[in-house]
Amino acid sequence: MRIKLKFDENEKKFVDRVSELSGENIYSCYQCGRCSAGCPFAFEMDILPNQLIRLVQMGLKEELLGSKALFLCASCFTCQARCPKGINIASIAEAARDLIEPKGKDYFGPEEVPPELADELPQQALVSVFRKFSK
Amino acid sequence: MPDKKRKLHYYPGCTLKEKTTHLDVSTYAAMEILGYELIEPKNWTCCGAEFPLNEEKIIGLTAPIRILRQVKIEGGDKVFTVCSFCFNVLKRANEAIMSDSLKHKRINAFLKDDISIDRDSGEKTTDFKQYNGDVNVLHLLEFIRDWVGYEKIRSLIKRDLSGIKVVPYYGCRLLRPKGKMAIDEPEDPSIFEEFLENIGCEVIDFPFKQECCGSYLSLSMPDAASEASYNILRSAKLSGADMLALSCPLCYYNLDTRQDRIKENFPDSPEIPVLFFTQLLAWALGVDEEVLGLDQHYCNPRTALGIDESEVKK
Ligand code: SF4
Ligand code: SF4
Repeated sequence: MRIKLKFDENEKKFVDRVSELSGENIYSCYQCGRCSAGCPFAFEMDILPNQLIRLVQMGLKEELLGSKALFLCASCFTCQARCPKGINIASIAEAARDLIEPKGKDYFGPEEVPPELADELPQQALVSVFRKFSK
Repeated sequence: MPDKKRKLHYYPGCTLKEKTTHLDVSTYAAMEILGYELIEPKNWTCCGAEFPLNEEKIIGLTAPIRILRQVKIEGGDKVFTVCSFCFNVLKRANEAIMSDSLKHKRINAFLKDDISIDRDSGEKTTDFKQYNGDVNVLHLLEFIRDWVGYEKIRSLIKRDLSGIKVVPYYGCRLLRPKGKMAIDEPEDPSIFEEFLENIGCEVIDFPFKQECCGSYLSLSMPDAASEASYNILRSAKLSGADMLALSCPLCYYNLDTRQDRIKENFPDSPEIPVLFFTQLLAWALGVDEEVLGLDQHYCNPRTALGIDESEVKK
């Protein structure tokens, strides 16, 4: 049975923008699952990395925004090194976050840093977490 | 007459000057013995820590390119880092402007208007040339393999490390993205093992050497990072290692500094010393214990290094 996906303009625009911003060909993913098999944070994710790509392919913004997985990607590029198509999920997740994060709200901002850790935290951890998860 | 030291640009990055000073200091100590005088690019700033994965976040490339341009202005044709994150950002930013003419044009347009004020003299500079990606960005492991040579290292070894069993930990930023970092094969690397063997350690293989430790998730999702780090430490211990060696200050934070937090979630988490590869190098080359900063570790590495605790000065 063939299922025909119908996109409205809005969804199609979203998929095109994610492709543009991430530099990845979203449609080249054929759902083999190797990314999810190797992802070190799949155990904590509500949806797996390949399912994340699927949601992007289908332009399902709300579902993406509601998924914990989008914020569990550590940009470790294991998926990219193992994907038969060389797809980089970290870039796709970053593009999706940048497009759909609620305006003006940080996912993880400076006020979330526990003050008792101030002395021990490496600058690198602070700079990178803000680069990923705040505006 | 002693050999004249060769000048070499070194970009330490921000974490090394404040938090993991033992990585910085051991790098200086080891490189001096190898015959290099390290030059830090004048007025260097943070590189941004993360390479922007969104093609339109061009502004994130200006800091790393400004650093590389400074190396060029000072007459350098290469720069090395020991921090895997800095290496990743500098190398990828360099590659980005070389492979993408629009990015090259836009970054240089930003940088053209730079005014640089010297931190020491207060002197202003506005006359900047454009930067074309012509500084070679290297990681110290790569510099040692390709420029210094293992033979040279072996000829300068002062301490015998042969009883020390070490697992090399690559983490994510040294080897990946595949095709971009190109210092070794991402799925089957050997550069770290070769380095350790050549300084005299016994190298132990373990399955988690390229696995991610949790990176910045230790702030935003601490439990996930603890579990990832626990898996790595446990695997290292089960493999029979005395210690784990690495190059990244953030991995060090997750795998050493946070060992107490990991234990809260996983009481059976093993205590295993975590050392920077430069500390092992400096130790092998005969550098004094005090210089290595062994007191900065959560897990005391003295026994693993074969240092007799009773002889340590109080
Ligand atoms: S490994 Fe690549 S092709 Fe396979 S499911 Fe993941 S992203 Fe798609
Ligand atoms: S880059 Fe993200 S999705 Fe890919 S393996 Fe790493 S954590 Fe998982």
